[in-house]
Amino acid sequence: MHSNNYTLGFVFIVTLVLGTMLSFTKDSVKVLQDQNLKADVQKTILRSLNFDESLLLTNESIEQTFKNSIDAKCVNIEGEIVECNIEEVDIEKNVETLPIYIRMDNDKVQGIALPIAGKGLWSTIFGYIALNPDTDSVLGIQFYKHGETPGLGGEVEKKWFTDNFINHPMKKSNGQIEFVPKKIRDENGKIISITVIKGGVDYSDSNKSAIHQVDGISGATVTADGVTDFLLEDLLRYEKTLDKIRDYGTI
Amino acid sequence: MELFNSESKKIISDPINVNNPISLQVLGICSALAVTIRLDQAIIMTLAVIFVLCSSNVILSVIRNYIPTRVRIVIMLSVIASLVSVVDELLKAYLYDMSKQLSVFVGLIITNCIIMGRAEAFALKNGPSKAFLDGLGNGLGYGLIIIVVSFFRELFGAGTITLPDGGAGYVLWSIPESWYAAGYENIGLLVLSPGAFIILGLVIWVQREFAGVEEDA
Repeated sequence: MHSNNYTLGFVFIVTLVLGTMLSFTKDSVKVLQDQNLKADVQKTILRSLNFDESLLLTNESIEQTFKNSIDAKCVNIEGEIVECNIEEVDIEKNVETLPIYIRMDNDKVQGIALPIAGKGLWSTIFGYIALNPDTDSVLGIQFYKHGETPGLGGEVEKKWFTDNFINHPMKKSNGQIEFVPKKIRDENGKIISITVIKGGVDYSDSNKSAIHQVDGISGATVTADGVTDFLLEDLLRYEKTLDKIRDYGTI
Repeated sequence: MELFNSESKKIISDPINVNNPISLQVLGICSALAVTIRLDQAIIMTLAVIFVLCSSNVILSVIRNYIPTRVRIVIMLSVIASLVSVVDELLKAYLYDMSKQLSVFVGLIITNCIIMGRAEAFALKNGPSKAFLDGLGNGLGYGLIIIVVSFFRELFGAGTITLPDGGAGYVLWSIPESWYAAGYENIGLLVLSPGAFIILGLVIWVQREFAGVEEDA
């Protein structure tokens, strides 16, 4: 049996060595990790704006596409453009400066991506929702960071879930089904956002709000309710900005 | 000690075949079920486990005579946890997409019973070179099973075979559209966890038959 002093000393040395090894590793790869994170956020924005996947294969092509096609700026709650350092805006807490990413093509707005963030069950979920220039129909939605349970709440980042927002089965007059995006505004143009409901959406004719609803995730009701809540809250912050883009085609 | 005498060969080959950590000792099942949805995930996971298992075995074997018995479990855990964190950080830096897909399961290598088990049962009683071979053998044994399971789960569940390529994965082969048109369908069950149980059960059966192991009645 070793003495208490020996045991303590041994544990101390082991901790010291392992701690040094860990901080050395973290320190030497921090730059690369930060680059990956930045590219991942940009990729999320580009994906929500429906850019072709072939442009999003490497960090370099992502950065290049982002620089060439995205007009990134900040607005305030009144819809006026304000100065900001867009990479440092805290999406979750900040309410004064709101980042907005606009996909421009020949000086015309093709799509608008807005950051969304809020509490799920275990963690804050971060993502982007992109709207068409009508600022009503959804162009895409993507989540890039969360700590939800893989397989349950973690499904928010999966394609089947995000595809719900752009595939609303609309019955045409000839009886055929056409897929159209979900809408965030009601008939009067008021922003009512999209609700993630428990279970599947009722697509019968009696359910008039089906266009504002998407299928939930089994076993992840709290996560889904969180998404519903912060989606509405975040979209309302941009209400004046979105009205402006709808009415004038620019901010 | 000669590196490849019959004893060292036995240390490597036993855990691959007659004493396989997954199919015979039934250890490390949680990650075997979780990361076997796609072949590329299973391959990267295998490499990560082999790295952690070999390094932890060697480190613990080198210091085995100095570890106070009373705190040996704590020491083993901290060595393993640190190595896993290193792997996690490296994946985030060099294989970002893969680290996102493997998510918590890289961190969960810490609780993989195979690693603690080999440290306690082998590394603390044998020299570093033998401990290294033991780690390699058990890592390969683990990898063999999860690669076989993931191959079948991906092929029949999603209809593809994906190899790791540093990004989102390189699709080596996928079931042609004409098959689907002719009525072929993917088995959705295999993508879900119960599918992993079924395939793993079959693999264990075949493996035990092959290794000639019989359960005591």
